Amino acid sequence: MARTRRSRRPRLTIVLLVLASITIITLDYRGDAHGVISSLKRAAGDAFSPVQRGVDAVTRPIGSFLAGAFNGGELQTENEKLRDEIGQLQRQTLAERAVQNALRSLEELDHLPWIQNIPTVRAQVIALNPSNFAATVELNVGTASGVDDGMPVVGGAGLVGHVIATSSSTSTVELITDAGSNVGVTFGSSSGNQASVAGGGIGKPLSVTLITPGTALQKGEVFTTSGLPNLAYPPLIPVARITRFSSNASSTDEAVTAVPVSDLSRLYYVDVLQWQPAA
Amino acid sequence: MTSADLARTTIVLFVVLAIQNTLLDGVRVAGAHPDAMLLLPMAAGYTAGPDRGAVFGFAAGLLADLFLPTTFGLSALVGCLLGYGTGLATRGLVRSSWWLPLIVAAGATAVGVSAYAILGAVLGEPGALTADLVPALAVATPAAVVLATPVVRFVAWAMPPVATGRGAGVGAGSR
Repeated sequence: MARTRRSRRPRLTIVLLVLASITIITLDYRGDAHGVISSLKRAAGDAFSPVQRGVDAVTRPIGSFLAGAFNGGELQTENEKLRDEIGQLQRQTLAERAVQNALRSLEELDHLPWIQNIPTVRAQVIALNPSNFAATVELNVGTASGVDDGMPVVGGAGLVGHVIATSSSTSTVELITDAGSNVGVTFGSSSGNQASVAGGGIGKPLSVTLITPGTALQKGEVFTTSGLPNLAYPPLIPVARITRFSSNASSTDEAVTAVPVSDLSRLYYVDVLQWQPAA
Repeated sequence: MTSADLARTTIVLFVVLAIQNTLLDGVRVAGAHPDAMLLLPMAAGYTAGPDRGAVFGFAAGLLADLFLPTTFGLSALVGCLLGYGTGLATRGLVRSSWWLPLIVAAGATAVGVSAYAILGAVLGEPGALTADLVPALAVATPAAVVLATPVVRFVAWAMPPVATGRGAGVGAGSR
């Protein structure tokens, strides 16, 4: 009798835990408890942020020191700053080229939004990919600095991603390489050329869809955000560069792969654009 | 469970979480990193049996979920199943070999990572299965072998094995 009770208990425990897990997943999935879960995550992020900053402050110099045995620690820091500056200049050049193309066909519009007019918050990347199943980075700025969910993030020469979660002092950014990411883009000399850039997973190339077979493309051509209403990004931010394209007679789409114009594996500083998509 | 046990368990959870979020997340190969939080349920099931393994796995998963951008509760579900499954699978084993926890860790991590990807895909993240699973398995499984011994010993300190007969206990039969 006692043995039966003892052997049933683990089964009851696991059944209760599985039911509890499924209930939590369902509540999160349906959005019913989004407020509570977001608050919990925000509080956890705030509580853990000092630990993360402290360890980052200790480990970064160690990493630089170890790297310094081969590269020179100071040189590496200098390189990171220079890379950031070069990225900003490249972004500016690519965006200006894109805006020239857009202006040619959109002269009648009075209020063309332009990335340089959007206020930004400078941020430092403090952690990379907390999950093996989502391409994300953590930034050292949060709601206290004016960062909010949905805001686009740029770094290096172009778009990095957008903010998906915030605490008062940190924020989580979903990168454009995430397998669930989709960015509406435009390309070529006409702003009528629309496409979609989809993430292929962490460290993998991007795939570009919605391009009709036979469309004139060039290797190295840059896609910029289209800025169509209700999309998550303002227009004319450089996103990705074409690496390969081919036509297949049986396919309705040109097969196009691209890489982000920003080097997402070496992010150090980024800018959060204080811009929200239209409701 | 005494308050001392609870305190030790809490220390283990937060120390491993801190190591994962601050150090291991930065160790990236092909975009993937080791997952010590996934080793906790396995270690708890291995040292303390299916019941306590499931409870500890659920707690570890829920804590990990607070810092992950994926669906909340997913790690808790995988964690409790992994703790329970490891406890059941290793219940009758004689633990005299130093390499046994390494094999159990590798197997449990492979199962846990795959389960996470499959459940993620079911919940509307197909990329978890098609794009992220292979690098995650290729990195997390060998890393689990490396991390298994310290994690199992750390968890055994917090959750001493309950003597239930032959083969019970993490160090039973070893010197």
